[in-house]
Amino acid sequence: MEIKTDDYRVWTEGSEIFFDGAMRLASSDAGASITALATRVLASNPASITLNLKDLHFLNSSGINLLAKFTIEVRKHPDVRLVVRGTPDIPWQSKSLPNLKKLHPAVVLLMD
Amino acid sequence: MTDLDATPPRPWPVLRLNSFRAKFLIVVGGAVLFDLLVGGGVALWNVNRLSRDATQQIESGLTKASQEYLQNYIETTALRADLLFGRMHSEVTALAASMQRLIDYPEAKDAIGKALAKNPYFNAPLAYDATGNWVQTRQGSPSVMSVWGYLLSADHQPKPEILRDIQESAIFDIFGTSQMSTGAKKLQVYYVGPKAGPIMRTIPYSDQAQTFDKLYPGHDKANFWDFFFPGVYEGWEGWIREPDSRPVKGDDITATAPYIDAITGKLIVSFFHPLWTKDRNNVAGMVAADVTLDQLADIVESVKVADTGFGFLTMSNGNVLAIKPEGEKMLGLKIASGAAGQGVTGLDRSLKKSTHATVAALELPADDKTVIKHISIEENGKAQPYIVVLRRLNPVNLWNSTGSITAETLMLGFVVPEREIYASLLAAQQSISSATNRILITQVIAVIVSLLIVFAAVFGISKRITAGLSALAGAAKRLQAKDYSVRVSIPTRDEVGAVGVAFNRMAEQISFHTENLEQLVDERTRELGDANQEISALNEKLRDENVRLGAELAVARQIQMMVLPKQFELEAIPGLEIAAYMRPADEVGGDYYDVLQNGSRVKIGIGDVTGHGLESGVLMLMVQSVARALQETDEANPHQFLDRLNRAIYKNIERTNTDKHLSLAFLDFEDERVTLSGQHEDVLVVRADGEVERIDTIDLGLPVGLENDISKFIATRDILFGSGDVIVLHTDGVTEAEDHERKLFGFERLSQSVQRRHGSSAEDIKTGIIDDLMAHIGIQKIHDDITLVIIRHT
Repeated sequence: MEIKTDDYRVWTEGSEIFFDGAMRLASSDAGASITALATRVLASNPASITLNLKDLHFLNSSGINLLAKFTIEVRKHPDVRLVVRGTPDIPWQSKSLPNLKKLHPAVVLLMD
Repeated sequence: MTDLDATPPRPWPVLRLNSFRAKFLIVVGGAVLFDLLVGGGVALWNVNRLSRDATQQIESGLTKASQEYLQNYIETTALRADLLFGRMHSEVTALAASMQRLIDYPEAKDAIGKALAKNPYFNAPLAYDATGNWVQTRQGSPSVMSVWGYLLSADHQPKPEILRDIQESAIFDIFGTSQMSTGAKKLQVYYVGPKAGPIMRTIPYSDQAQTFDKLYPGHDKANFWDFFFPGVYEGWEGWIREPDSRPVKGDDITATAPYIDAITGKLIVSFFHPLWTKDRNNVAGMVAADVTLDQLADIVESVKVADTGFGFLTMSNGNVLAIKPEGEKMLGLKIASGAAGQGVTGLDRSLKKSTHATVAALELPADDKTVIKHISIEENGKAQPYIVVLRRLNPVNLWNSTGSITAETLMLGFVVPEREIYASLLAAQQSISSATNRILITQVIAVIVSLLIVFAAVFGISKRITAGLSALAGAAKRLQAKDYSVRVSIPTRDEVGAVGVAFNRMAEQISFHTENLEQLVDERTRELGDANQEISALNEKLRDENVRLGAELAVARQIQMMVLPKQFELEAIPGLEIAAYMRPADEVGGDYYDVLQNGSRVKIGIGDVTGHGLESGVLMLMVQSVARALQETDEANPHQFLDRLNRAIYKNIERTNTDKHLSLAFLDFEDERVTLSGQHEDVLVVRADGEVERIDTIDLGLPVGLENDISKFIATRDILFGSGDVIVLHTDGVTEAEDHERKLFGFERLSQSVQRRHGSSAEDIKTGIIDDLMAHIGIQKIHDDITLVIIRHT
């Protein structure tokens, strides 16, 4: 599965969801397809879901909302481990990703 | 269907000059014509040359043959004439030799004379004629013996020496009679005595003296020789003195020019043979023979060359002796009358007096070679070419009327019209010419027939060839006139046929596409019409909606802006100098800031709702209202304040089922201390001395609206806020604004911008930051709401 625009690309490899580019979602509707993609991965009930954000240079607040909502959703599935891979070099990630851990303490946040 | 169906395209005219077919015909016809003309011309040229060569060959052959024939003929004829003369000569010579023998043997002569005198037949009595004063033998004698008066004695009898000669010459009656009856045909032979006694004995008998008297009166008054043949006797006497003076060597015979014989009245030539005395010192008379020219003329006139060719005999002076009347007429000759000599009447019929200049100017040959001349003689007013062949006969001694003896060569001449002698040549030429003409005509006819056949064939073929092209041209015209139903039928299997097939295919495709296109256009037009209607309807709806939405947005924006703290409110806050800036990305922004004052407590909030637009704006309004309400309940605990606010907002978000939340932080100002709570962007503090502090808010809360209870995440942090210190609050629209290289404005630039202006008023700092920010953005799109709040401790 893959979602591709001029600015960003989102795709899955197994239960790992990759984000690439700069994502400026104008509204929550624009992010609906990404939510659907992530939900489908979750629906497959994997042992672990990885959000790989290392190449996502920018994400606006609508996108952060999307990640937060998904984390809350995963929280409802205690048997699904959520791993978030990020990098402290990208400002938004160091600012927003810790929130995901707050929302769902089981989240494995890998900032490397 | 087009109007072409009503008036179908005119068929191509059969031979329009600029049509392909006409050009085809002209090119092929021209090539064939050229070919035929060149071929025919070469053939004709060759035929012409052949005929010319053949004509030349034949002409040269025939001319040679003709000339040889003429030469042979004239030489044969000349031989015959010469033979005739030779015969005369030999007969006269024989007669003369007999007489000369007797002279040379006088005893025999005397004895024979005496013997014959005794014979009354040979010694015929002489009768005196008183009228003429002559004596002559009587009728019935073997010869006529005339003795002129001047030879008579007084008794009318011949003088004794004359009588002796009479008796002695009686032997001539024997010789002469036999000569007359044998050999060449002669008029008469006669003996004339010497000048001293010119008695005349002639065989056969005739009234000789009577005739002389009648024709030549006075002849007896002069010596016979002198009267009749003046000069001849003297000439002979000259020969005795000088034997070499004979004009014709070794020949004693002397001929006369033709003359009209006094006795017979015929044109005759006399051949004289002189007799000599025994000692050869004197002339002793002569023996002569008269020959009519008829015999020579027979030879000459019997000449027949071709149809009308004739012969003539002329003397060297051009006097024509023998010629047929037709020839005489043809050559324009006339006999001059009355040219009388003393004794004989000559004939004057000279070529030099011909009425034809060409004949008069005819040059006679000077040697014994046969000469062939070509002259043109006028005949019936038209010049006709003639061939004249001339040949000299053997020379003879001629006594002429002037009294001298000269060598005379008679000439034989043949005259024949060229057209006759060359009749075969002309016939051959005619035949060749007509053959050539026939070939020419045949050739011309062949060329014409070939041309006609070729033209007919080309015409037919061109019709077949160009029919396809014509059909194509016509069809193309109809196609041009938009008659797509047109098809051509070209049965040939050549390139034209292939073009026809391709044309039909193209026409079919054009037809298909055109008709389909029309159908398609119809369909599309219909669909477009429907769509247009729908669009119109939608457009109308949209317009209505837009108007409505626009109105709503305008109201929301107005309300949002209305709830922002007013300038006078900010100015009324003691100890703080506050400047704020808000610029929504859309009509309605998602950013929030507020300055709430309740008594001595001043609470400043800043937040950022995810997204923007009406929904975000409304959420922001809610936040503002809840915060205001909480402030009014004197909620002094920042933790409680935020927790309650979160609960209120969370529930409202849940109710409105919107995917939004917001970062939200509050700053509670009290004297020189600020209590910071809630999670938002980093807070920038620039101290009065210009030092910059960056305060992270991550651990001071959680985004509002995500969770019902965030209390466990809420924390506070106290910040010293002395006089001259400046706190700068912002939303991510500031730090995340991009320049044309998509570089973010960033926190660093923000802090530098503030730092540069530390010490300035809040308003100036705000204006400066906005200026720097706008310079950074340039003409790039502003993605997010921009909010900036500058708080300076006075």
